[in-house]
Amino acid sequence: MFQNRTEALALALPAALFAAIVFLVPVAILLSEGFRTADGWSIQAYIDFFSMPLNQKVFLRTLRLGLTVTFVAAIIGYAAAYAIVTLPPSSKGKMIGLVVLPLMISPVARTYAWIVILGRTGIVNQALMTVGLTDGPVRFLFTETAVFIGLLQLFLPLMIISLISALENLPRDAVPAARVLGANWFQVFWKVLLPLTREGLVIGGTLVFTGSLTAYITPAILGGSKVLMLETLLYQQVTVANNFVSASIIALILILMSFAANILLRRIASARNSK
Amino acid sequence: MTLKALLGAAAALSMTAGLAQAQEKTLTISVYSFAQDEFNEILYKPFEEKCGCKVVVETGNSVERLAKMEANKTNPVIDMAVMSMADSLSAARQDLIDTIDTSRLTNYDKLYDIAKDPNGDGKSVGYTFYSTSIVYRTDKMEIESWGDLLKDDIAPHVAFPNVTTNQGPPALYMLGKAMGSDSPDLTAPIDAVAEKADDIVTFYVRSSQLVQLMQQEEILAAPIGRFAWAPFAKLDLPLAWATPKEGQTGGMNVMVVTKGSKNRDLALEFMDFWLSTDIQTKLAEAMVDSPANKDVKVSEEVANNITFGEDTAKSLKLLPSEVILDHRDQWLAEWNAKVGQ
Repeated sequence: MFQNRTEALALALPAALFAAIVFLVPVAILLSEGFRTADGWSIQAYIDFFSMPLNQKVFLRTLRLGLTVTFVAAIIGYAAAYAIVTLPPSSKGKMIGLVVLPLMISPVARTYAWIVILGRTGIVNQALMTVGLTDGPVRFLFTETAVFIGLLQLFLPLMIISLISALENLPRDAVPAARVLGANWFQVFWKVLLPLTREGLVIGGTLVFTGSLTAYITPAILGGSKVLMLETLLYQQVTVANNFVSASIIALILILMSFAANILLRRIASARNSK
Repeated sequence: MTLKALLGAAAALSMTAGLAQAQEKTLTISVYSFAQDEFNEILYKPFEEKCGCKVVVETGNSVERLAKMEANKTNPVIDMAVMSMADSLSAARQDLIDTIDTSRLTNYDKLYDIAKDPNGDGKSVGYTFYSTSIVYRTDKMEIESWGDLLKDDIAPHVAFPNVTTNQGPPALYMLGKAMGSDSPDLTAPIDAVAEKADDIVTFYVRSSQLVQLMQQEEILAAPIGRFAWAPFAKLDLPLAWATPKEGQTGGMNVMVVTKGSKNRDLALEFMDFWLSTDIQTKLAEAMVDSPANKDVKVSEEVANNITFGEDTAKSLKLLPSEVILDHRDQWLAEWNAKVGQ
């Protein structure tokens, strides 16, 4: 299309410069804050950060919730995506529409709905008490369980959509062929479906994991300050403690965790592929 | 060619805009972002008509406001700002605000004593204050002391303000008083709250969230500022405003003038207007701000929904600004270490 590389690069230059000036440079300045001290550069701030028990706890909680949400989303997402892909085209469109619908509602409204549903007088507790599983209302709100449920509902559609597009690209005969050759359903999933849809899983997994790490509204409303996560801790450090060093450290941790998740998932996917 | 024409047009436009600005006096204020529609009707528009000037309103939280004032220190953009008592002391320590020439405020003598010079440095004037006490369900419990909040049968139904909110430290201070400790380090009440942290429903950050929690019986009691009381009163639930034996605490918001502002006269004129009996009455009637002007008279219904009256003003046990400023980091660290986990 272009006569030479220079021409192509020249065309990309303005956009690249723009991105560098308004995005990369400010981010670099922000992140450098965590390494800058009065006498030069040092990682002392990071050592101090991780030596505080609260920070360790918040970091581990964020990682744990991110991983469990991603894992559970992958399991539910696979089942849902497979069911949707096998539907006739007209109902498939409707089902995809239903999956995407929650993404069009403001996260604030969705999260507030959970406050009603998970409350002491909410539908979940009413059901539990009617069935006789508990005598009194169980406390869900402002617990890790509530944050987990909120995050799962928030990001599950992203996983389903990624898996649907991966499953759609699957050769139509792959599953019947495996069955004919004597594979049971587990083998079909493990040896055929999973390797062929790994790209979708990597994309969906990265989106869900990164989303869970960086979500603010859901942990803030459903967890509150009793279930601090890195993102809510970051907000607290900036707006209350005015501690931009801690904030910059948390920001870098979040960025690194997102990158690490993506690289790791890709590794897992390609390792399986090369077998 | 087109680009040239565009640039020319833009330059011409900015020149006319500059001219228009030069002809009109402008006052830039920085305020809390709540109830801006009411403030516009009651305060800004009438003032603009009176002075023939333009009021530019910037909103944001205290941290943003102070950061902006610090960044523009040599060439201030904001002429006057409102903030909490403690933040105004912080601004004074950073040399961002100036002494207020109170002889220029004709309404100054009408203010309650606690509003006149709250930090004792002559750099702030209170324009509204509020009491902080406990809203609770009268059919489920009785609250006679701040200490009642931590009782075994009450704590699992309490939303306590987070230490990071304006209500947090005063509520902890009163809890300390109930326990017999008057120390500003708040160690004793933080320890007591930490012991019950698993029971307490949540440590809230926004009082607006509490109305829903109260409505669905998630909580039955919570310490709140009086400014947040009105929506509770409308709930059709048996709710009351506690009068604990240790008294009520609260807070005050103050006006400050920026050091080096070029519109000092206009800023003082605006502050005087805001403190006038007429404007303070209107703001009280709209239930926006409780009046700091003691000449303000309001109906009983309004008085019940705001913080009103000389007796209330005198009885409030406010935490001194320097105590808040000097201990804020320690409170947060201690809270995070003991309660936050």
